[in-house]
Amino acid sequence: MTTLADPTRYFHRPIVAALGVVSVILTAYVVWLTLRDVSLLRAGQDAFVGADNYLRLWNDPRAISALVRTALFTVLATGIEVALGLAIVLFLDRDFALRRLVRALLLVPIIMTPVVVGLTWRFIFDPATGMANYALSVLGIGPVDWLGSTEVAIFSVLIADVWQWTPFVVLLVMAGLESAPTDPLDAARVDGAREWQVTWYILLPMLRRVLAVVALIRAIDSIKAFDLFYIMTRGGPALSTETLNYYGYVAAFTNFDISYALTIALVLTVFTNVALLTMYGVLFPKSGER
Amino acid sequence: MLRRILFYLALALLMAAVLFPLYWVVVTSFKTTRDAFAIPPVWFFEPTMDNYRRILANRGFLAAFANSFVVSIVSSAIAVAIGAVAAYGLASQDAPYRRSQEKFILTLRIAPALLFVIPVYFLATRIGALNTHWLLIAVYAFINIPFAISLLLTFFNDVPRELRDAARVDGAREFTVFSRVFLPAAKGGIVATMILCVLFTWNEFFIALVLSGRSTQTLPVSITSFLTFQGIQWGALTAAGSLIMLPMIILGLLVQGQIVRGLTLGSVKG
Repeated sequence: MTTLADPTRYFHRPIVAALGVVSVILTAYVVWLTLRDVSLLRAGQDAFVGADNYLRLWNDPRAISALVRTALFTVLATGIEVALGLAIVLFLDRDFALRRLVRALLLVPIIMTPVVVGLTWRFIFDPATGMANYALSVLGIGPVDWLGSTEVAIFSVLIADVWQWTPFVVLLVMAGLESAPTDPLDAARVDGAREWQVTWYILLPMLRRVLAVVALIRAIDSIKAFDLFYIMTRGGPALSTETLNYYGYVAAFTNFDISYALTIALVLTVFTNVALLTMYGVLFPKSGER
Repeated sequence: MLRRILFYLALALLMAAVLFPLYWVVVTSFKTTRDAFAIPPVWFFEPTMDNYRRILANRGFLAAFANSFVVSIVSSAIAVAIGAVAAYGLASQDAPYRRSQEKFILTLRIAPALLFVIPVYFLATRIGALNTHWLLIAVYAFINIPFAISLLLTFFNDVPRELRDAARVDGAREFTVFSRVFLPAAKGGIVATMILCVLFTWNEFFIALVLSGRSTQTLPVSITSFLTFQGIQWGALTAAGSLIMLPMIILGLLVQGQIVRGLTLGSVKG
C-alpha cells in the first residue's frame, strides 16, 4: 500500500516536516541566544559571550537550590501520587453501586482550571480564616502558617498538586486494570492464594507498565509545574518554593535577562530528559517498583 | 455487611476529599464577605448573588471571557483541522513508519513551555505582535497540533480499513475518501479532540501570562488581578473562579469516555 504513488503521504508529510523545521529552527535560535547576553533592558546591545551563561548558572546558588527543590518536589509528588493512586485503585477494585458516578467525579480535579485550583487551596490555607486551620483546631492542633513559613510552604503546594493529580493516576491505572486479563487472578485464587498474595505477586506485575507510564507523565509535569507555584506562593516566602522553571520565568520576565532565562530553560530540558531516561531505565527492565 | 458499610464510609470520605475544594469555592461565591470569613465556617446561610453581580459588571472580566472564548475555539479548530489531515495520512502508513513519526510527535511535547515561549515573546516584542489575538491563537494552535495528531490517530486507527479500500475501488480520490469516509466515521473522535483542545487552551495559564497583552488577556490571567496588594477579594474571586471552571467541568464530563485516552497523551504537553 505504501508505493511511491500513494497519495496519503501528501497528507502528513508537509505537516510533520513543518513541525520538525519549526522545532529545529527554534532550538537553534535558543542555543544561539544562550551564547549571547540578550537583555530586554539593553535592547540591541547584546554581544557574543560564549559559555558565560552556563558558567553563571553553574555558580549561581539560587539556581542550584532551585534545581534541588525541583528534584525534591518531583520525586515527592510523583511518588505520593502514584502510591496513593494505586492504593485507591485497589480499594475501588470491586463491584459497587455508583461506580460510574465515582469515576466521572474523579475527573473533576483534573479538568478544574489550575489557576482556580491554586486560588482555592490558597483560600483553604489562609492562616486566619482558612478551612485547613479550622479543621486542625477542631482536632486540637494549633494553627499552621501553611504558605507563610519557609519550611511548610512547599509542602502546601505539594498537597494541592497531590489533590489535583492523584485522580489522574487513579483513572489511568483503572483503565489499565480493566484491560488486564482476569484468568491468572482467578487461577491463583482457585489454587488457594491469599488476597494480598494475588495482589502483590500477580496484579501488581501486570500493572507495571501502566504504572511506569503514569509515573513518567507525572514526573514530566511536576518538573514543569508552574501554575500552583505562581498562584500560591510566587516562589516565596524567601525563595523557599522557587523551582528551576519558576526561576527561569523570573529571570526572563522580572529581570528581562532573556539569555540567562533560556540557559535555565535549556538546562531544565536536559535535566528532564536525563531524569526521564533514568526513570525509564529503572522502571522498565527490573521489577523494583511499587 | 459490616465490610460493606465500612467500604461505603471510606468511599464517601474519599469523594468528600476529592470534591471539597470545588464545593468550597462554589459555595463561598454565594456568601457575603462576613459569612465567607466566619470562624467556625457557616454551612447554612442566606445565598447572595452580589459577588456575581459585581464580577459581571467588571468590564475587564467580560473582555477576558470573550478573549478566552475566541482564542480557545479558533486555535482548537485550526489544530483539529490540521491534525486531522496529518492523522489521516499517518493512519494509512505501515506500522513501523507510523511508530517512528508518532515518537517524533511525542518528543515535541517534553520541552518546558518556557523554552518555547521566551523566543516567541522576544520575537513578538520586536515585530510588535504582543497585544494581538493572532499571536495567542497561533501559539496555541501550534502546541495543540501534535496533541491533536496523536489523539486523532487513535480514533482513525479504529476506522475499518475496508471502508477506505472500498471507496478507492469505487474510484474515489484520496481527499474524497478523507472528507467523505474518514471524517464522518470518526466524528465522535473529532468532537472529543476538539473539546479536549478547547479545555487545555481555556485552562492554560503560563503561555497566556507571558504572551497576552492588556487587550488579549485570557480568563486565568485576568483572575490574578484580584490578588491585589491591598488584599484578596475572595468574594469576587470565587465567583470568577466558578464562572471560569464550570463550563470546562461540564464539557469535560460530557466527553468523559474519551478523556482518559486524551489525558494520557495530553498531559505530556507543555
